[in-house]
Amino acid sequence: MNYEYMFAAYSVAWVVIFGYMFIIGKKHNKLKKEIEFLKQLDK
Amino acid sequence: MSMNLEREKAVLTGTQLSEVKSTNLSKILFGATVISMLISLYFIFIFAAEETTMHAAQKIFYFHVSSAWLAFMAFFVTFVFSILFLIKRKRIFDTYAYVSAEIGIVFTIIVLTTGPIWAKSAWNTWWVWEPRLITTLILFFIYIAYIMIRQMDGVWDKKARLSSVFGIIGFADVPIVFFAIRWWQTKFHPIVFGDGPSQQGGGIESSMLVALLVTITAFTILYAYLLNKGVSFENMKIKVDRYKEKLREELEK
Amino acid sequence: MNLFRTALLLAKKDLYSELKTKQILTTQIIFAGLVIVVFSFAFDPANNTTKAVIPGVIWVIIVFAGILGLNRSFISEQRNDTMQGLLVAPMESSSIYLGKFLANFAMMLVVEIVSIPFLFLLFDFKFNGSLGYFVLVIFLGSFGFIAIGTFLAALAANSKSSEMLLPLLLFPITTPILIGVVQATKIILTNMEKLSSAIAWIQLVTAYDVIFFVVCFLLIDYVLEV
Repeated sequence: MNYEYMFAAYSVAWVVIFGYMFIIGKKHNKLKKEIEFLKQLDK
Repeated sequence: MSMNLEREKAVLTGTQLSEVKSTNLSKILFGATVISMLISLYFIFIFAAEETTMHAAQKIFYFHVSSAWLAFMAFFVTFVFSILFLIKRKRIFDTYAYVSAEIGIVFTIIVLTTGPIWAKSAWNTWWVWEPRLITTLILFFIYIAYIMIRQMDGVWDKKARLSSVFGIIGFADVPIVFFAIRWWQTKFHPIVFGDGPSQQGGGIESSMLVALLVTITAFTILYAYLLNKGVSFENMKIKVDRYKEKLREELEK
Repeated sequence: MNLFRTALLLAKKDLYSELKTKQILTTQIIFAGLVIVVFSFAFDPANNTTKAVIPGVIWVIIVFAGILGLNRSFISEQRNDTMQGLLVAPMESSSIYLGKFLANFAMMLVVEIVSIPFLFLLFDFKFNGSLGYFVLVIFLGSFGFIAIGTFLAALAANSKSSEMLLPLLLFPITTPILIGVVQATKIILTNMEKLSSAIAWIQLVTAYDVIFFVVCFLLIDYVLEV
């Protein structure tokens, strides 16, 4: 019934979307840490 | 050329490094994305009629087409903001162009992976040298090149200027690439909408069309969310960079 | 026309300095020869089916030899910061582009005049198509390729690794030209009966040439900014 193709395609799509969001989130956290550090430095 | 005029001296004075707040808009967009995605999944898997020759594999169609739509829209937005940047020279336009290109690439990757999976299930071959597929592949390469221009070293306005120029040229190239390849060889994709010779009957059932439109809407909202998120992140990064500049100047005193 | 005068002056300057050093032209021609030799290893010249790949080989030679020249055309202005001099000189940046384009195009044509007969000779290719159309296709294809190539070379010259960046920028953008000219060359060299579709390809390439030449002309101001 071709389920495997559908499954493969949708998992790829979701992996890519969530992967992108995950990478953005990671960058975001890194930046947040940097901001914290800078704030401490400023004091 | 060698114009390292170090123009990035617009040091931020007295910046309050406010927390990267997820603003109201971002929250609303996130919620809308989740809801519309769930609705679109309902429409795809439950509401839409199942295709008779390809069965479940036909469901790939919805995400494939929507991703392609999103990628093209994203590149179009890059094109528009590139022009705006060259006219107005505001950094925010450049940020929008960059983030949009990045999102476009992500969804081009989805198109380029779901496409072969579809091809394998429908035509029993992974890759077909077919106009739309090749055009998408070339589009992918063009915008990878665009990102590579952004990764150049130098002051931001030089990079922004050059990548805007390339964003315009690259987008202008896309229709010509498409027509050239279409002339070169055209066999596979059935023309779904409008008249035209198509394979296996062609056309689209109304329930499928509804599901497709719902999915496209969901993807558009997802795009808005990602764009908003990406732009606020880039803005924050710019602020931090300026702040670092300021700290360094204080240290040098 | 002040624009063309300064452009010609610039092209003349580039060609004179090239005539003095003969650096780029020699490299391009030797490179073209090497590509032909490599292709003779890849495709047996004694085999008759090899004739089918000749149109492709012609364009591989032109593209790769052309890239070598394009890479140098703006990088060579970086030593002694002569690019700065050109930019502050009392002339439009579009005439810098036009001058560079003319110089590159002239060199490209020299490379083609030397290497294509050489290719036909080595692969023992009997030319029985129409020479006029063949020359036209080569001319139009090189024109478009060099026009957009010069523009992107000016863009890539800002990067420290411009030699690596230029092919990445240039190849995706020039795909329509490459498809068009390879198809047209193939028809003209091997199958003259289908001349009408070759002419259609030539029209496509011409349209591309015109569109991108104009776009490059308009946008070069933004690339060559002080």
